[in-house]
Amino acid sequence: MTQEVKTKATFPSVDWFNAIRAIVNDDPGYKHIGTCDATVGIKIPDLQKYYLLTFEAFEVADVREATENEAENSDFWLELPYMKWKEMIENIKANGKADLHHTLNTIDIEEPDDLARSNDGYRRDAFYRFNQTFQYFFDSSARIDTTFQ
Amino acid sequence: MADATALDVPADLAQVAEEKGIPLDLVRRGLALGFPADAIKGQLGMPGVTAEAAEQFISEQERIRAGGEITIPPELLDVAQKHEWPESLVKRALALGAAADFIAKQIEAGIKPDQAERFIAQQEAAREGGLAQTLDLSWMKVPTEWGIRVRPGNRGLTVDMLNVGTYADIPDHWPYQTEMPRGAYPIPGVAPMGYTIYEKAELWADNAGDLYEEAIQRRWRPATDIPWTTMEPLPDEIERAVGQLCTHFCERGLLSGDIIGRWLPEMSYGYHEVKLYLSTAAFDYARQFEVFRKRAMSNGGGLGLQSPGYFHRAIIDARAWTEASVVLNIFAASHIMGLYQIGAYTAHNEAESLIFRLGMQDVGRQLSYGVQHLRYFLSKKIDRRAEIHNYLNKAEAVFAFEEEKDVPLCEALIILLGGGTGNEQVSDGIAKLGYFNRRWVRDYISRLAAAGFPERRNKLHPSLKKYIEEPAEAAAA
Repeated sequence: MTQEVKTKATFPSVDWFNAIRAIVNDDPGYKHIGTCDATVGIKIPDLQKYYLLTFEAFEVADVREATENEAENSDFWLELPYMKWKEMIENIKANGKADLHHTLNTIDIEEPDDLARSNDGYRRDAFYRFNQTFQYFFDSSARIDTTFQ
Repeated sequence: MADATALDVPADLAQVAEEKGIPLDLVRRGLALGFPADAIKGQLGMPGVTAEAAEQFISEQERIRAGGEITIPPELLDVAQKHEWPESLVKRALALGAAADFIAKQIEAGIKPDQAERFIAQQEAAREGGLAQTLDLSWMKVPTEWGIRVRPGNRGLTVDMLNVGTYADIPDHWPYQTEMPRGAYPIPGVAPMGYTIYEKAELWADNAGDLYEEAIQRRWRPATDIPWTTMEPLPDEIERAVGQLCTHFCERGLLSGDIIGRWLPEMSYGYHEVKLYLSTAAFDYARQFEVFRKRAMSNGGGLGLQSPGYFHRAIIDARAWTEASVVLNIFAASHIMGLYQIGAYTAHNEAESLIFRLGMQDVGRQLSYGVQHLRYFLSKKIDRRAEIHNYLNKAEAVFAFEEEKDVPLCEALIILLGGGTGNEQVSDGIAKLGYFNRRWVRDYISRLAAAGFPERRNKLHPSLKKYIEEPAEAAAA
């Protein structure tokens, strides 16, 4: 993954997610992973910030700010305190992609209540079924200049 | 008959004629008689053909076409009478240009008059009106739904998109015992294929078509997709632990593939979505074997000890697909997913991390089929919930016994999680293994609940139940 794009965006914000969305939707490498159909909530409870990402076929179809209820009414949601989101994003930026200790999977395992959560055991498995797509999405944040609130 | 002088002789036929010394006007007379150019070329290419013999043959054919009497040579007549071939049939064969000795050989070879009659009639029709008139074409009147024109969507042209019109009718019971695909029209007399699963509830999952497409789209190649060069030498006890874990995954991969391979021929053709998906699952299991064998043998280590295998036999001995699926795709796959999480957590390099993350995608599909199949089964077979408990009672008990006996796997996991064989490392490894066991049992229960089987939580085997009944201890760990 190259770092040729220098978009600036602040995390967390719809602009930040949309900047990554624009990158992956124009990236043959993202499409090469295969189709992904899932709605993914993003929760940053200590900031009371919630988002909803819609992955559809070969693209990220939609990104929007959401209520907490909407974020939880997804296939699964990714929930971390702000500082841990920041640590993950900074790690991705520093390495060009998540290192072994900052992949979504690793964080999910290390979080006592999980990174990926769901109200439905079947829908939560979308986190595993499409994990390379989600990892690619967040790894693509290395290609923007992220500022933090 | 066509005007022979106006006919063109194809270049390749002309070349053969020239090589044999056959005048081109003789070839044109043959074409005018209706003999195909390829047939003439074939005849001219045979040994012993001379211009004189060709002239004699063409002249005889022209005489017959002009209404001349057909004379059956005495030797041929003898053979025909001996084998009860009607003279009229022999004359029709001669009229078509077949050589007398050729016809005699065919009769002596056992060709029956009725067989010959069909062939001769076809050739006569071809001569009168061209080959097109020899086609039967009644099959084109087959009463299947016609005029279907499915268009690709943003995922391309997927299997489920083809379920339109009558092709979308997926019956609860498939009535055909043959390999006929759903939507085709049956013909009588086809021998049964010996399937045993004809009921939709016994194998169906609403997501099977999607999972097939997903597996095809998200396929990966261990040979080139894994960054094997990122691996570096590991301490001996760690490499041996990795090798033991890989051995376990190799066994489970091969066994699971065998289970799928055993059940696929039992499933009738009415539910092709399931058969398609399970074909990819068998491929996934082969890849599981492949990638872990490669990992074991690419970093200075090798394979380890065989597993006791009690649990393997519990899965393969299942007598119903639903039993096999619940045990393989929900229970065993939940355990494998837990082991993959340990693998991802303890990954020593990019190669191992990616192997486990890609593997999770494959296991995720197996879990998804398993959950959806159980959900469908329970919705249609409300009186068979106790049966599912019995399947799982047996599987969980045998699993517990296997876990107790498989000391090498348990110790390998402890060493990987603790980072070595020192006292503190082992202690840390044991605590972490408990954490991972709680995770996979929790997820197993959660998947069964999603399948509409939440009460399993209260009937778990004690060896598993302990993991969901000790929250305080879990938090402490």
